[in-house]
Amino acid sequence: MTASAARAARPLLGAAVFLAVLGLWQAEARRHPSYLFPAASAVLERASHVWPTSEFLSDVVSSLERLGAGYVIGAGVGVALGLVLGSSLGLRRLLEPLTELLRATPAISIVPAAIVLFGLGEAMHVAVIAFAVCFPVLVNTVEGVRAVSPEVRDTAAMLQVGPVERAVRIHLPAALPQIFAGLRIALSAAVILLVISEFVGAGDGVGHYITFQQSQFNTEEVYGGILFLGLLGYVLNRLFLVVERRVLAWHYGAVGESGR
Amino acid sequence: MPRAVEQEAHAGVVLRVDSLSKRYAENGPPALSDVAFEVRRGELLAVVGPSGCGKTTLLRIVCGLTSASAGTVFLDARPVLRPPREIAVVFQDYSRSLFPWLNVVRNVMFPLRRAQASRAERLATAEAALEELGLRGVARKYPWQLSGGMQQRVAIARALVSRPEILLLDEPFASVDALTRAELQDVLLRVHGEHRRVTIVHVTHDIDEAAYLADRVLVMTPAPGRVVRLVDVELPRPRAQTATRSSDRFLAVRNEIQEAITEQQALQRGGERQ
Repeated sequence: MTASAARAARPLLGAAVFLAVLGLWQAEARRHPSYLFPAASAVLERASHVWPTSEFLSDVVSSLERLGAGYVIGAGVGVALGLVLGSSLGLRRLLEPLTELLRATPAISIVPAAIVLFGLGEAMHVAVIAFAVCFPVLVNTVEGVRAVSPEVRDTAAMLQVGPVERAVRIHLPAALPQIFAGLRIALSAAVILLVISEFVGAGDGVGHYITFQQSQFNTEEVYGGILFLGLLGYVLNRLFLVVERRVLAWHYGAVGESGR
Repeated sequence: MPRAVEQEAHAGVVLRVDSLSKRYAENGPPALSDVAFEVRRGELLAVVGPSGCGKTTLLRIVCGLTSASAGTVFLDARPVLRPPREIAVVFQDYSRSLFPWLNVVRNVMFPLRRAQASRAERLATAEAALEELGLRGVARKYPWQLSGGMQQRVAIARALVSRPEILLLDEPFASVDALTRAELQDVLLRVHGEHRRVTIVHVTHDIDEAAYLADRVLVMTPAPGRVVRLVDVELPRPRAQTATRSSDRFLAVRNEIQEAITEQQALQRGGERQ
């Protein structure tokens, strides 16, 4: 096989492995029929009935609302704080011990405290997601601002750019590639915190759906819920890449495709 | 009006550098020692010297990006304490001084952002500036899509778009190939000829470039950085790469600059030996 043919076959190979694993699951489940370990076909069959129902869709909508609110708040706070800390060595020294500690704290560990603080309402979910999102975004924004080249800083100074304008019109766009790297890490963290917080304290949402079905021993629904979250994470990541490609077109052009 | 100021206005002095010294470390060696000179309105002054002679430090102090340890820079008889809007700078590293997230015309429009003009007017002004630098059809491109020479033209267009009194150039052509360099030198001469009001201070380590472009050449030597000679070029304008560079006067000017530098280096070596 030539090198180019091998390259062309690679995605096909990936799909083949995927289908093989699915087939293995199916075969194993068929060999040992048990409601504890449903077959792939049964999970998909059940999902095709459950997913279009209004109950399941309203769970999805609740989850997406929490995810969106927490992500936007966390990213906003992270970027704003990062722009401020990035341009002030004094403030950075002052706040670094605090942000380093909070950043090292596993976001999951604040869920019980958040329940005590906010109760079981929407605020709790949004708060823990925002917390998880804030720190990777903050750290990356600070790094991005610090990496702004001296030439750009000098040029901005010569063009009479003041502190606020510098943050918004120079530091923010210049740090955007790093900010997006942080936002991408934050996206998967946000999905994790969404599901965890719904496991432990929600009346609806996809996370609640999974734990509820588990308590009813509906294993097909449990696997269906897991599958749905996997697909959700995948789709969100793809959407994120589309947005990033558009917003950072200037950057990928400048550093070349190898910069990815 | 104080007498000194009146005299400056009369003599057409736009920039006066008054016994400037700079030490980066408290007890370190001086990067600049007692540098003094005047720049006349509308002239093209070249500052030439080997690397380490403090040319870039001098330029940064003149444009208010770095503070002096002693001495003052006067722009129109007012001391320069921070970057003044009358001064525009073109840095050596065009690839990093243009804003990569803005396309070419937005880069050039940036200095006009507070101008009392509509967006359409600012766009037209920026496009005219690009045209003047011989840049057509690149307004919507991003800086990385242009060659080094073209990027530096964009940087010059951005510097000129707000009609500064003084244009400072820090080794602007040091990062391009020799042919592009000659082309950019002529672009600069043309721009200077067309805007008689703009005063240009051009920092370079290239003696030939200084002699070819300038009305006067300030010769600096290192350790400590100071001015050792001021050479009147007195070559006729307009200048041309082949005719000017092959004239006797050109050779005399470049030899005078070279001698000033060599003399100083010999003196310093002598001093070290003792």
